[in-house]
Amino acid sequence: MGRFRRSLAATAMAAGLLAGAAATTARSQELNVALFGGSFAENVRTCVAEPFQRATGARVNFVLGNSVQNAARLRATRGRPDVDIAYMDLQVAVQAKNEGLLDQVDAARLTNLPDIYPSAVDPDRRWIGFMYSSTAIAYNPRELRNPPQAWADLWSPSLRGKLAIGDITATSGQHFLIAAARINGGSVENVEPGFRAIRDLRPHVVTLYTQADQVVQLIERGDIAAAVWFSDRVGAAARSGVPVAVVFPREGAVGILPTFSIPIGARSKALAEQYMDRALGAEAQRCFAERQFAGPTNRRVELPDELARLVPYRESVERMYFPPPEIVARSLPAWTERWNREIAR
Amino acid sequence: MPERRWDLTGLGLLSPLLLLLLFAFLLPVAALIPTSLRPYVAGTGVGEGLTLGHYAKALTDSFYLEIILRTVGLGFVVTLLTLVIGYPLAYVLARSTSRWRHWLTLLVVFPLLLNLVVRTFGWIALLARRGLVNQWLIGLGLAEEPLRLMFNFTGLLIGLTHIFLPFMVLVLVAVIQNIPREVEDAARTLGAGFWAVFARVTLPLSAPGILSGSILVFVLTISALVTPRLLGGPTYKVMSTLIYEQFLQLLNWPAGSAMAVVMTLIVLALILLGTRLARRWEARA
Repeated sequence: MGRFRRSLAATAMAAGLLAGAAATTARSQELNVALFGGSFAENVRTCVAEPFQRATGARVNFVLGNSVQNAARLRATRGRPDVDIAYMDLQVAVQAKNEGLLDQVDAARLTNLPDIYPSAVDPDRRWIGFMYSSTAIAYNPRELRNPPQAWADLWSPSLRGKLAIGDITATSGQHFLIAAARINGGSVENVEPGFRAIRDLRPHVVTLYTQADQVVQLIERGDIAAAVWFSDRVGAAARSGVPVAVVFPREGAVGILPTFSIPIGARSKALAEQYMDRALGAEAQRCFAERQFAGPTNRRVELPDELARLVPYRESVERMYFPPPEIVARSLPAWTERWNREIAR
Repeated sequence: MPERRWDLTGLGLLSPLLLLLLFAFLLPVAALIPTSLRPYVAGTGVGEGLTLGHYAKALTDSFYLEIILRTVGLGFVVTLLTLVIGYPLAYVLARSTSRWRHWLTLLVVFPLLLNLVVRTFGWIALLARRGLVNQWLIGLGLAEEPLRLMFNFTGLLIGLTHIFLPFMVLVLVAVIQNIPREVEDAARTLGAGFWAVFARVTLPLSAPGILSGSILVFVLTISALVTPRLLGGPTYKVMSTLIYEQFLQLLNWPAGSAMAVVMTLIVLALILLGTRLARRWEARA
């Protein structure tokens, strides 16, 4: 027994040493990427990380977190970040930029940059949008023969007790507030009419979800027939057999621009720029459109008609409303406070 | 009266724990204080200068006060429930001579071996609108509409009581086991019935266990995060979920720090109060 234990300890120690040695040799060729979890990470692995690893020999490590968690990580490790790339939704990236956490990307090293829609690139090049998504209306086609066609339809009595909306902490909740304000005479700077409209709707809403994946269960269990949800999630859920389809509301879906950035002080900036360039290339963007139902931000990507209907693409991108990220970042705490008191309470 | 002086051996034995507490508890809490005094500008981050604004808001705003009261109230009710449910169980475990005793103890400890998130998801499956409990209630004709068992006080009460019951029971078992049987026998010889012995001998003698178990459960309850987040959702917030929201959803670290400091002070005050009350109770017994 004693001998067995001793040999076990020796093995463990040897393994530890080996792992340590491997880590030191590979450190120079390692890229740490903070990105969103779930199917998103899987698809980034397939479309970007794996081809990148094959091409460069570098190893890509994923650190999973949502936009705000990634921004919090950058703030906590300011100047000495433990990741080389951070994925964040636009309004969060703008906040991180304002806090002086994001580095400028070298335009000369990003060969695909000229093909990206100018509106998807920060004028200072501290964030770059790699896909379009939108907050739209998801519905169960088995339960609703006449699905809602407009944001205003969500207030119809036929959807009472059958609708889920996002909490204000979810991007879809913020976007629904903006959309509700806009269709009632308000704007992103005056969300008062939006609060009033959602307060009226609240008693008929089944639940305020906080995680996008909750909607899948709600639809599968039959708890809801419609939801304010993300267009890319609808595509992914529908493909895995969930009875769900998307409507881009008549007044315009609210655009989402997920971005990535290199934090100031990143250990492998050049490698990170190489990774970004690959992610912005037509090949990766097409792959991501097919798997993640992401609208490409690279205007040279050609999509088959069938897919073009499901993702924000060309004209539908132009029809979308993109709330100005500076205003959203600045207003979010006040919106959250008011939402907590008037809607969630 | 034993001589009171610094016992170096005792200090030496305590020092690993003291050091751990210093680094893992006191320093992080102390580090919150400077952050909590900083202003926060939405969109640009933590500002320069000092302000007491976050404290003023946490302690005067009706919404935050409601959440503080709700959290403390939840702590008291969960503590009381675990005590009422846990005491008889602990008594049986401590006094039983049956060979099933060890299995019973294992049964009490068993939930602790399961991951907290898994246990909470178990409760979601049971308590949801179309969960098992509601299906049974409706199937048995005891309810017409599904009851709201989640995203409210009831849901948190059920979930947290279940999760923290083992802590109460384990503490109580240890204390009840240490009560000398002779004392109870003596009381019985003097003519006291079972209930009189229990109320006037056993219960007062187990007061230290009741106190430490209660403090443990109370503190765990009001600082619990995972269960309130999953069973309370966005509509039923407690202090810990509010602090989480400030830190990890709004990036407002100063406001979150101020709330965390307030919560720590409330816990310390209640622990001090509880210890005092218990000492008085013991002295009377």
